[in-house]
Amino acid sequence: MNDLFSLAYLGFFAAAALLNYLLPRVVRPYFLLAANYAFYCYAPENRPLAAVLAGATLVTWLCGLVIGKCRVKAVRVLFLLLALAGGVGILLYYKYWNLLADAVTGLTGARMAHLDLLTPLGLSYFTFAALSYTIDVFRKRCRVEPNLLHYAMFVSFFPTMITGPIERYPHLRPQIQNPRRFSYSRCAGGLFRILWGYMKKMVIADNLAQYVSLVFAAPETMGGPHLAVASLLFAVQLYMDFSGCCDIALGVARILGYDLIENFNDPFAATNFSALWARWHISMTGWFRDYIYIPLGGSRCGMARCLLNVVIVFVVSGLWHGADWRYLLWGLICGLISAAGRATLPLRRRLWRFNPLYRAQWLQNFLQRCITFLLFAAAMACFACALYNADPLAVYTGLARGWQNGLAGVPALLHDSGIDGRLPVVLTCAAAIVFAAESGGRNIARWVRRQNFVLRWTLYYAAGAAILFFGVFGQSAFIYQQF
Amino acid sequence: MASRPPVPRTTQPIHRGAVAAPPRPGAAPARRPARRKRRHSLWGRFWLGFVRRLYFGAKTLFKLALCVPVLVFMVWFSYTVDRSGLFQGELAPRRIVDLMLQGYDVTNFDSMDEREVVQLYAQDVPETPQVIGVGSSRVLQFSREVIGTDSFFNMGVTGADVRDNMTSYYKMVTYGKVPDVLVWSVDPWVFYDDPMAYDERADADLYNEFLTKVLGVPTDYEEPDQVELWKALAEPAYFQGNVDYFVKNRGQDVVTDDEGNAIDFNPVQGDPYAQPTNIKRSDGSVLYETTFRDQTQDQILALAAAACTTFNSVHMEGFDAMGETAMAAFEAFIDYAHEQGTTVILVLSPWHPYLYDYLLTETDLHRGFFQVENWVRQYCAEHGVPLYGSYDPSCIEGIEELDFFDGLHCKDTGIRKFFPGVPAVLDAVANGSVPDPLGITPRTTPPAPEEPAPAE
Repeated sequence: MNDLFSLAYLGFFAAAALLNYLLPRVVRPYFLLAANYAFYCYAPENRPLAAVLAGATLVTWLCGLVIGKCRVKAVRVLFLLLALAGGVGILLYYKYWNLLADAVTGLTGARMAHLDLLTPLGLSYFTFAALSYTIDVFRKRCRVEPNLLHYAMFVSFFPTMITGPIERYPHLRPQIQNPRRFSYSRCAGGLFRILWGYMKKMVIADNLAQYVSLVFAAPETMGGPHLAVASLLFAVQLYMDFSGCCDIALGVARILGYDLIENFNDPFAATNFSALWARWHISMTGWFRDYIYIPLGGSRCGMARCLLNVVIVFVVSGLWHGADWRYLLWGLICGLISAAGRATLPLRRRLWRFNPLYRAQWLQNFLQRCITFLLFAAAMACFACALYNADPLAVYTGLARGWQNGLAGVPALLHDSGIDGRLPVVLTCAAAIVFAAESGGRNIARWVRRQNFVLRWTLYYAAGAAILFFGVFGQSAFIYQQF
Repeated sequence: MASRPPVPRTTQPIHRGAVAAPPRPGAAPARRPARRKRRHSLWGRFWLGFVRRLYFGAKTLFKLALCVPVLVFMVWFSYTVDRSGLFQGELAPRRIVDLMLQGYDVTNFDSMDEREVVQLYAQDVPETPQVIGVGSSRVLQFSREVIGTDSFFNMGVTGADVRDNMTSYYKMVTYGKVPDVLVWSVDPWVFYDDPMAYDERADADLYNEFLTKVLGVPTDYEEPDQVELWKALAEPAYFQGNVDYFVKNRGQDVVTDDEGNAIDFNPVQGDPYAQPTNIKRSDGSVLYETTFRDQTQDQILALAAAACTTFNSVHMEGFDAMGETAMAAFEAFIDYAHEQGTTVILVLSPWHPYLYDYLLTETDLHRGFFQVENWVRQYCAEHGVPLYGSYDPSCIEGIEELDFFDGLHCKDTGIRKFFPGVPAVLDAVANGSVPDPLGITPRTTPPAPEEPAPAE
């Protein structure tokens, strides 16, 4: 059931939605809390780990309660530190123990045993959500929640449990306290959003993954054209995969009566690297901005410190993705590109006026978007290496070789990877439709509800048919599920 | 332009008491106090909620029902194309059966999975044939002409063992297509209680199902999980595979199977009697190639002689005595067919005279074989089952060596010499003039050595 593709998941969700609306509104948050824990405990291996979720919820709620009620700063700080230690401790224990053990062994010589730990489902998401509540209460940006069950419902909300987005309590609290009435329009929009998400994931991302995984499985044997195309396609694949998954989560939550944070806002329309990250995985970048970047001083300090803060945030973000040096390297690369972009922005702005290509605004935007996308894809190649267990050095050095025949060999490998027949055309059209439909951060669920019946149902059928005919079934889970 | 209120010429006292000041001239009309929301009683609220839920539930269900055509199409397409043969059988046998049902004879008999063809025929035939034939390759010369009716299908398969015989009929019954008449060419190994009598191509699971569910004989049969199978119909991956297969084969001259291999089963073109290869007739019988059919007497004799030393290898290795279980199963099967309302006609197809004579010279090696015919005759006499033919060719009037293809297989010309056709048999059954099974006594012992002529 912890797989968004499984019939068990869809069945569970449908049953939860049905019962949710059959119950009186006042009872619904409590019912959903029970459903969240039922979801969590469905897989036998997760059952013991439900205690971790419950423990994290209880500790952060109690700490929040003390922080919110107590006026003594020392006590408030103490409980904030306690909550942080608890949340970060769980993360470190389950995700980074082995990395820490290696580091300690390497530094001190003292041998620390590796642990074969099963990471609790949604660990990163629920700890970040819980920590954000405690910190917000401490900073008085969020009122303390006296109702433990409401808070527990927020921390364990099952649509966000698998792949986020990382919710904030001030955003969800009013929706929990005043559950919405059933709205047919909301549900229909939510269903389309789910369908849209599945289409992005199964039709585009999973088909692209066939080629990308083939190239990144043995990058040392691949020429530059393949590595370059695979890197570019991986950026698209990751977007379709992750945003598709978020579409499903948002659609599910919408049907249950909750609006979650939009996690993407047309990221490839960004004209610089920092802006792209402000539109990508918004809930996570926002979390790092609010709880790491700004406490470090943010941009209200000297340029050097500001750039360092940017690099630190990206490095932490890399570490958040996993205990692997390649994620760390990816974070560092992103941080350096972002910092370099910020440092050189004034100079570049002055030079723009001398660039003949930048005389037309649309051309300038287009070129900047292209450059931003190329930088993003180049950075993401390292991320792909971590995912597919490849050597980033082999990828980056390989990019330079084998260009004698240009891109001539790429179609053949695309064909061998399974992207053959009419699939390239289908993928190109599907990606173009997705980008066009989501341009300007359009909310596709709301948009589709404004269309007339014929167009709406044509879209429903088209999306369903695309999945049915071209979707990849029985493929991998969502990429971000593992984080 | 909105009109301004007139400027008062003199000052006006402002009332600061509890009573509200009079409205200024020209001011917007006072808003009517908001109507208080009517509070419903508990019951009222319950019913309102109930009706609301009912309305939206029905609306949602209706809209979801609009998606059903997609699912219906998917299921229909997967079932129709069925590239893996999960529901309609393998692609090649399906093509054969389709052609046969359209009345075509089909080429390339030697490459056919005959058992699968028989199973699919039972499944797909729209009208129940009045007569079916079961048995091994020794029954495959029973054609519509020999049987004497057009409503006939020969379900015999090469190398058939008892399991093939019984399950062929059982399949027809399970599909609700019980034939009026069953012509069973009984081979001797039907009564051999040993795995040696079994053909590995037979459907053991189906036979176990038949034994367990019909005859009540305990086996290791387990009811297959049909749910898992039928789930494939709603499996999008299977649907996609079927789309690929359909697109690949649409309008192609050569149809391929699931793995891309060409399916070489085509309708017979031209005179079926002039084909260079063995063909499957549309009635299930087999028409051998011309050269095999038109062998000389010497060639046939040579084949019969070759079969002498390998006789036991045809499911009868170590066949020393008839098996109790096999006999019981035989009787139970006949009873089962009678219960279904089917008239059973047993046929004993003869062996080549040379071969039979040879077997008589080593009866110790074929004890089981020589017990069969007499037991069957006794059984038929006791139960009133029509029996025609004999393993012993000398018991069939007028049969000669040219009536055989080889040592084992009798031609249709030979069959006509002992089998009058189903209509005649049914008439005989109706008139009570069925030949007495015990009226024929096959040779089962070596001939007595001829006494030397006394010296003169």
